[in-house]
Amino acid sequence: MTLQGIITVAEQEFTIRIRAGRWRWLLGAWFAVLTLVTLLIRLAVQTVDQGRAQDKGVIVYGGLTLLVLGLALLVVPTLSAQSVNGDRERGTLATLQVTRLSAGDIAVGKFAAAWGTSLVFLAMTLPPVLYTMTQGGVPFGRVAVVTVVVALLLGSVIAISLCLSSLLHRTTTSGVLAYLVVFALTVGTTVTFGLALALSSERYTQTVPGYCPGASATDPCPYSSYQGTRTRADRVWWLLAPNPFVILADAAPKLPPETTAERLQREALALRGVHVTNLRDSDPLSGLGRAVRGAHKAPGASNGSPVWPWGLGFDVLVGVGALWVTARRLRTPSRDLPLGQRVA
Amino acid sequence: MDGVVAHGVRRSFGPVQAVRGIDLTARPGEVTALVGPNGAGKTTLLLVLATLLVPDAGTVSVAGHDPVAEPDEVRARMGWSPDVFGLYDNLTCREYLQFCGRAMKLVHYEARAAELLEQARLVEKADLPVHALSRGQKQRLGLMRALVHSPQVLLLDEPAAGLDPRSRVELRELLRRLAAEGAAVIVSSHLLADLEELADAVVFVDQGVTVGEHRLDALPAAATRTWRLRALELAPLLKALKGTDHDEPTAAGVDVRLPSDEAAADLLATLVGKGVRVVSCQPVGGQLEATYLELTQ
Ligand SMILES: Nc1ncnc2c1ncn2[C@@H]1O[C@H](COP(=O)(O)OP(=O)(O)OP(=O)(O)O)[C@@H](O)[C@H]1O
Ligand SMILES: [Mg+2]
Repeated sequence: MTLQGIITVAEQEFTIRIRAGRWRWLLGAWFAVLTLVTLLIRLAVQTVDQGRAQDKGVIVYGGLTLLVLGLALLVVPTLSAQSVNGDRERGTLATLQVTRLSAGDIAVGKFAAAWGTSLVFLAMTLPPVLYTMTQGGVPFGRVAVVTVVVALLLGSVIAISLCLSSLLHRTTTSGVLAYLVVFALTVGTTVTFGLALALSSERYTQTVPGYCPGASATDPCPYSSYQGTRTRADRVWWLLAPNPFVILADAAPKLPPETTAERLQREALALRGVHVTNLRDSDPLSGLGRAVRGAHKAPGASNGSPVWPWGLGFDVLVGVGALWVTARRLRTPSRDLPLGQRVA
Repeated sequence: MDGVVAHGVRRSFGPVQAVRGIDLTARPGEVTALVGPNGAGKTTLLLVLATLLVPDAGTVSVAGHDPVAEPDEVRARMGWSPDVFGLYDNLTCREYLQFCGRAMKLVHYEARAAELLEQARLVEKADLPVHALSRGQKQRLGLMRALVHSPQVLLLDEPAAGLDPRSRVELRELLRRLAAEGAAVIVSSHLLADLEELADAVVFVDQGVTVGEHRLDALPAAATRTWRLRALELAPLLKALKGTDHDEPTAAGVDVRLPSDEAAADLLATLVGKGVRVVSCQPVGGQLEATYLELTQ
């Protein structure tokens, strides 16, 4: 595998993709929808406290980010789910395999082109994001982390779709399966977590010192105990970890608490009868993140611990593994060939 | 020896035994024809030689290297053009050849692409998208792709299918020139008349097995050949042919199957002796076709 080889394949795939006209339309629609949604959320926020609320950007950015991730997860499987078997169908794969490009060059080059395309989509969200930054409460660090995490998540999904296209003979099958993978990662993990949580419930007995006013050393007060049921989220939290939304929300840096100066200013206004809400507390990302960390916490513990390193690590590892499998499948000369599948 | 040497190659796909023992030698500087009926295993053999399939058994050497153990060495020296191949949409011919050159790690891929476009007579189509080409033009472009790195071994699977007569002549001249420059060229084709003028050697395969390997100038004299007779008047000819194995007369003449050249000469003498006014007597199809028909059932 060489960098030159990867660049050759990626450039070629990227050119072909850009020239197919429909991408321009898709990009245009993508940009229009995101801009529209941003402005609509911003208008909705305007109704809070007659527009005096602070950090109005927080909610707009949170909503926009979750929407971008959701829509991107719907778009990216199409970028690679028919890449290998589509080429085989068109009869262009074998001629590529007999060149001096290695199987790794082809696999990684195809991945790079698809990932690059998805990053173009991500870049199109920059103007609305910059706008939300001007609305307050959206620090640069948060935008940077969120963007990197979304890019990594999209990369994982693209690698998995590419792998499916190298494993399956028919383009329609791999296309459908790629969407099933996205479905499993989002809805599947959530539903499984919910079911597992219900199954994890256990009875427990708690003993507490009894309360007897007349107790003495010779006649100690008996401990009283009571029983209850509780769910053990700490045992099943990991089912939720691969969920892209969970990873994103948990990885987004938590917003700084209200500073003293801000509080004083707000209280001063309140004295004059003007109530100003700080919208930082209504951040959708932090809300989801806190909920998830609450699950990743032993029953007695006071603080939950982060879930995103596990989830993101898992997803990226699966993506890397998928790329490796793809490269293996592209290796020639090949020994086994599905019956009836012609090389050329 | 460089060129291509294959011994006892076998390859099956599940229960289907596509190649069951093919031997083939293609020398540098020569064009070797690979001939056989549909499903004989020609394409499968070429895929093995082109580093795409691992043979189940047998030894193969292409340009002095083993395609299974050293595929990259082979790929650097071998050009392969499949029977059906796709081209990328939305790329121009020039970009396509340049891409192929880059994939072959050529440094001067731009100059090479221009040169090949000239050779394929596609200069005025150079900047048109590939899918705007006609079938034959695509075929020529595909052939140029296989030539992009000036390979020592050229494997062509039915390169002449779909070409117009002029392009076929040009293809023949091109392949002869490449062979003269030292390349070992293997051509699989069903156009036996073309091969007769092109090839130096021929390998017949049938049902996955080599059934004959011959120099073209030393083809075994086929026992039975068909001769076509034409005379000024049909009736006396038919009368004189009574007792021989002949077909119904057609506009082209009467086809007679004869066991040897002597038999043909004798028949002609008899006919002339009987006063039949014969205007032509010639073998139908070439020597290659006759041998082909005899070797393959
Ligand atoms: N991938 C495959 N799976 C199953 N059978 C195959 C496969 N490839 C080839 N075959 C079978 O192997 C046999 C040889 O096929 P091959 O394509 O090599 O023939 P061929 O000599 O090139 O024929 P043609 O002159 O029609 O091109 C055929 O019977 C074919 O059905
Ligand atoms: Mg064939």
